[in-house]
Amino acid sequence: MPTNHTQPLVLFDRVTKRFGSTTAVDSISLQIFEGEFLSIMGPSGCGKTTTLRMLAGLEEPSEGEIQLAGERINNVTVSERDTPMVWQSLALFPFLNVIKNVEFGLKMRGVSTIERRRRALDWLERLEIVDFADREISQLSGGQQQRVALARSLVTEPRILLLDEPLSALDANLVVRMQGVLTKLQKELGITFVYVTHRQSEAFAMSDRVVIMNQGRIEQIDSAKGIYRNPATRFVAEFVGANNILSGTVIAADRLIEVDTPAGRFKCVESSDHIWSIGDTTSLVISADLIRLSTSAVNDENEMECRFISEEFVGSIVTVLAETPDGADFRIQLQQRELSELDLKVGATVYVRWDSHDAHLLRDTN
Amino acid sequence: MPIVVWQLVFFVFPLLFLLLMSFWLVKNYRMVPGFDSVNWIKMYGKGYFWDGYWRTLGYAGITTVITSVLAFPCAFALAFKVSPTVRRWAMFFLIVPFFTSYLVRIFSWQIFLNDNGIINVLLSSIGLGPFSMLNTFFGTVVGYLTLCLPLAVVLQLISLSNVDQRLIEAAHNLGCGSFRTVFAVIIPLAKIGIIVAAVFCFILSFGDFVSPYYLGGSKPPTLSILIIDTTKSGQQWPRAAVVAITMIVTLFAIMFTAIALAYRRRS
Repeated sequence: MPTNHTQPLVLFDRVTKRFGSTTAVDSISLQIFEGEFLSIMGPSGCGKTTTLRMLAGLEEPSEGEIQLAGERINNVTVSERDTPMVWQSLALFPFLNVIKNVEFGLKMRGVSTIERRRRALDWLERLEIVDFADREISQLSGGQQQRVALARSLVTEPRILLLDEPLSALDANLVVRMQGVLTKLQKELGITFVYVTHRQSEAFAMSDRVVIMNQGRIEQIDSAKGIYRNPATRFVAEFVGANNILSGTVIAADRLIEVDTPAGRFKCVESSDHIWSIGDTTSLVISADLIRLSTSAVNDENEMECRFISEEFVGSIVTVLAETPDGADFRIQLQQRELSELDLKVGATVYVRWDSHDAHLLRDTN
Repeated sequence: MPIVVWQLVFFVFPLLFLLLMSFWLVKNYRMVPGFDSVNWIKMYGKGYFWDGYWRTLGYAGITTVITSVLAFPCAFALAFKVSPTVRRWAMFFLIVPFFTSYLVRIFSWQIFLNDNGIINVLLSSIGLGPFSMLNTFFGTVVGYLTLCLPLAVVLQLISLSNVDQRLIEAAHNLGCGSFRTVFAVIIPLAKIGIIVAAVFCFILSFGDFVSPYYLGGSKPPTLSILIIDTTKSGQQWPRAAVVAITMIVTLFAIMFTAIALAYRRRS
């Protein structure tokens, strides 16, 4: 968890990056704290990698200021910043063996031969690849190469480590294992990790805070849970998790807010301090895993008659696809066991319902 | 199979014939088939043969070093510092010299390097010279560079263009400055291409006779000039074959060493 919230380690102050006529990053402001694990997530082309590259000095901001430990670093060259990166391609040097790859950063800093060998071996030991010290990079598996790349970046004991989709080349099992390695390392070292990914599972599993980016802008910064349960924008609601989004108009705004949508009228307890008034357009977001499914009506306040379309089996969880009265898709996640008890046929009538506390209203309506 | 036949007909048989010929004899200015090691003993016993051998080796070595060093900044700039359009045009202009016969290019150098040539005229206008450049080692090297430099730049450029940009960024990211990255990362990555370019320079200048003959004044002789002299004096084709085989064996040795060096795994 962040240890010091008052003085950010990294500060992006209205930073913009343009490539020719396209704006990759559009006036973002962001604080990254000492010792936190921060993920930047978004679809490809959202500007997340450019943001990371600006922090490393590989791209120069077109506008705005980037500070590291309170100092403006816009004009500090790449090699003079202590912002090591773990690359998507790993970028290990093929002409050097494992230990020499790890020693590289120390060599550049003028650390003596004996000292850098000792420190490199320490790191290989720590990442459990010390047996491969004298191997060539091409002789290692993907997971082992990953560990070499980590060791190479951490051997100089930086205050911050940048990770650019480092696990995207690994298979699913290995990803989970490496996630464990990364979070453990980050906690032990207490340094800041800035992790760029397009995969929700990676960002949510490891991060203290997650930044969601879209089209060069920051959509939301929150804890994984905050983003999952309270998406701030329609984009976040669509990008993260499995959410059902029903557009509508506010027709009653008391303790409960009632929304009229093409699929029916639903009630919602809004937790945010936004004041809703009658006639506001809004979107109602209900997470697929908070919805109950049954074959008969219970006449609950948020209930809708749907038609069962299909099921998608992914392990113990099944995603059911149903059709709302107005013909839109509606997703429900439930345990495989629960679904098999219902024994549904395609086209069968099903009733979906949810708690008013579990629905969430979006302000933006674009 | 066809490739084997092709190799045999155009490569192995001629070489074997050359080898065979080096054991023939010359009687009354005519070659007589035979099997006598006299040519080998005579040639290897001559001081001027060994002088020529080491000289040729030295010339080719110096040319290889000069060419590689001169070509690298040019290839580097074209690979990393210019736009793709400029790079394509540069590639085109590097190939243009090959449109013209090498001999013609060397003859034009004779005009440039002449005591009354344009270079000396220009130098004298600022009160320098005249420098005699023709029929000197300098002239020979100019000729070798004419032969080797465009090819070396093209070969180095191709290998530098294949250097993974991400590894350069990784080096910078790990605290390696721009200048140091050239030696710590870029040259090791482009090593094979740089060595191949050097091998071509060596082969071309080692066997070339045009430059040392027309720009270097043929004295002191290189091995290629020695071959011509030997065939002219008394129809000594067998002895010329001895020189030729020695050259071929030398080139093979150098080439294999260089390629082993290029592909060696460094640890």
